[in-house]
Amino acid sequence: MTISKKLFNAVLVATLAFMAGCSDNKQYETAICALADISGTYAKEKKSMVKIIQAGIVPSLVPGDSLILITIDSNSFNEENIKGKLKLDYRPSQANKQKIKFAEKLDVFANKKTSAKFTDISGAMMLCSSHLKSTQAGTQIMFIFSDMKEELKKGVKRSFNNDEFENINIAAMNVIKLNEDSTDPQVFRSRIKKWKKRVLKHSAKSWDSTLDPTEIPNYIDARR
Amino acid sequence: MSSLYIWPQMPFLSITVLVVASMIFLYLARTPMHLALESLSDGIAGGLERTAVWIKSVVVKMQEKNKKVLLESNIAASEQKIAQEFKRVEASYTKHLAEYPALHLKIDESITAIDADFQECGQVVPEAPGWNDAVESIASIKGTASGDRVIEKMLKELHKSAVEGEKMALSEMQKASTKRHKILSSLAPVWKKIQKAMNEVNTRVELVLETSGKIEKYMDEYEKVRKGGDDSIDMLSSKATKLFIFSIIVITVAGFGAFVNFQLIALPMSELVPAGTRVLGLHVSDISALVIVTLEVVLGIFLMEALAVTNIFPQIAGLTLNKRRMLLYAAILGLFFLASVEAALAVLREHIAVTNAATTQALAGKVETAVSTESSQITVIGQATLGFVLPWILAMVAVPLEMLIESSQHVLSKLLILIILLIGYLIGILGHILSTIMKTVVHIYDAYIIIPTQIENLFKSKS
Repeated sequence: MTISKKLFNAVLVATLAFMAGCSDNKQYETAICALADISGTYAKEKKSMVKIIQAGIVPSLVPGDSLILITIDSNSFNEENIKGKLKLDYRPSQANKQKIKFAEKLDVFANKKTSAKFTDISGAMMLCSSHLKSTQAGTQIMFIFSDMKEELKKGVKRSFNNDEFENINIAAMNVIKLNEDSTDPQVFRSRIKKWKKRVLKHSAKSWDSTLDPTEIPNYIDARR
Repeated sequence: MSSLYIWPQMPFLSITVLVVASMIFLYLARTPMHLALESLSDGIAGGLERTAVWIKSVVVKMQEKNKKVLLESNIAASEQKIAQEFKRVEASYTKHLAEYPALHLKIDESITAIDADFQECGQVVPEAPGWNDAVESIASIKGTASGDRVIEKMLKELHKSAVEGEKMALSEMQKASTKRHKILSSLAPVWKKIQKAMNEVNTRVELVLETSGKIEKYMDEYEKVRKGGDDSIDMLSSKATKLFIFSIIVITVAGFGAFVNFQLIALPMSELVPAGTRVLGLHVSDISALVIVTLEVVLGIFLMEALAVTNIFPQIAGLTLNKRRMLLYAAILGLFFLASVEAALAVLREHIAVTNAATTQALAGKVETAVSTESSQITVIGQATLGFVLPWILAMVAVPLEMLIESSQHVLSKLLILIILLIGYLIGILGHILSTIMKTVVHIYDAYIIIPTQIENLFKSKS
């Protein structure tokens, strides 16, 4: 083997090693999905819910991260329920502009009158899960803004796959107590417990229901 | 344990029988057992001791090699220093003694001028007019002693004229003396000029002598190192260790400086380069910032090489003065360019930071407070200055880097020798402990079979 061939092979090996070291950013990105309940009693929480997203979730996003807003209504497993999508540019200046624009979109959503008779939380979670998986982001988080009381319309069936929430961190945010919950706190507790059991059974990475809105940035950072 | 009992229902008897049987067996097998234990002791402890001895011999060889390397490297360094000093002497001669012929000519001219003036100053006593001869002639005329009135009158006239002539001559002489004094006083600046020129000569000769003195000092050092005595080796070793420690400290500080520099430009770099890809887990923008910082260090190395402060690359040291100068200008230009880029990036960083803060505030729904423009300007100026100055500071790292490379070879080798020596000692100690244990086992063995041994001794003494 001549010296030039040896040199060529060495350069080739070095290039391949370098290429192997190269990777896209997806495994370092964070994809967040916010589920907004607009049904029943929770509909009046819309403005405060939007405020939490604007002040807690959006500022925590860094260039490359993505955010998707899905509403929970009578039949949530529907593409129409996706109210906004945000994928931040890698340039910080552009990312800031995108954040402001998305916040304005959220304001429009907050001021729009919307309501639903039934509460299809599972459908929204399934839609959210499929979108989070499609991003292939290294960190996937699902925030559920709801009272966590599911009421499905007659004929609507929701069953999760075993790996439905694989690699997804789920947090129930701003869970308000209903009248029956105030009467008997065990009703509320058992409802939350049931959700926890259900999502963990379907491979969720973590479950949290006592998160303070001010702790959202820390929660996201801890899971990155 | 109970499985070993011959009669399980009688444990005491079983144990007694076992002990007696083992005692008899061990007594009978005493000689081969002693030999076996001795062999084992020799095998393990002796092996370890030999290993320790081998390690010590390896250490001695390493120490010799280390000394040799230290001496050789210092001889080379001394030779290089002397060569450099010779170059300086050459430069010094060229610079300081090149003008010497002109200076010499100047002194010569001054001396000639003085000589001419001196010749001119030569005092010649004016001769009195030739009256004496006239008086003598008249005096010799016959009848002068008889008081001839004509002659008397003539002599009086002659006396008068002689006095007048003397007066005139004196006046002429005074005038000439004044003129000469004037010439002499005009010599003073020429003397001062000569003195100044001589001082200049003195200074230049002193400079040349100073450089020669340095060479002498280096030559002494070189001689000492060449002799390679224990004192000089200790001195060189201590010098290398000191250099190593100092260079480590300086490079650590420089490392922190590089980190600050990196932090200053990493964020704004994401605006300039595509940050969508990562290499080995790092953003391309971060890698770009790292490359800039590394380039600054590299340019610093070239700058120091061109200035002959360091001597890492022999090729650069061998360049002609003109080529070296070109390299120096290129390094300065490159550093200036990178420093300017960093200053610009630092300004951009501040802009991004302000925008980020404003965005977060806007998203939180807070009313944007009026930020003092003055304080913002100070931050921008501060960051830009830091961005411009840090590359120049980082460029200086070439000097401690060379020191570290030079001294690390000896210090690390010394450290390795210490570690190996320690292992050697530990193995020696372990060998000694094992040997003692084996001896103790032999003694315990003998103690266990003491009863049959004593019986044997009793029989022997009776027979």
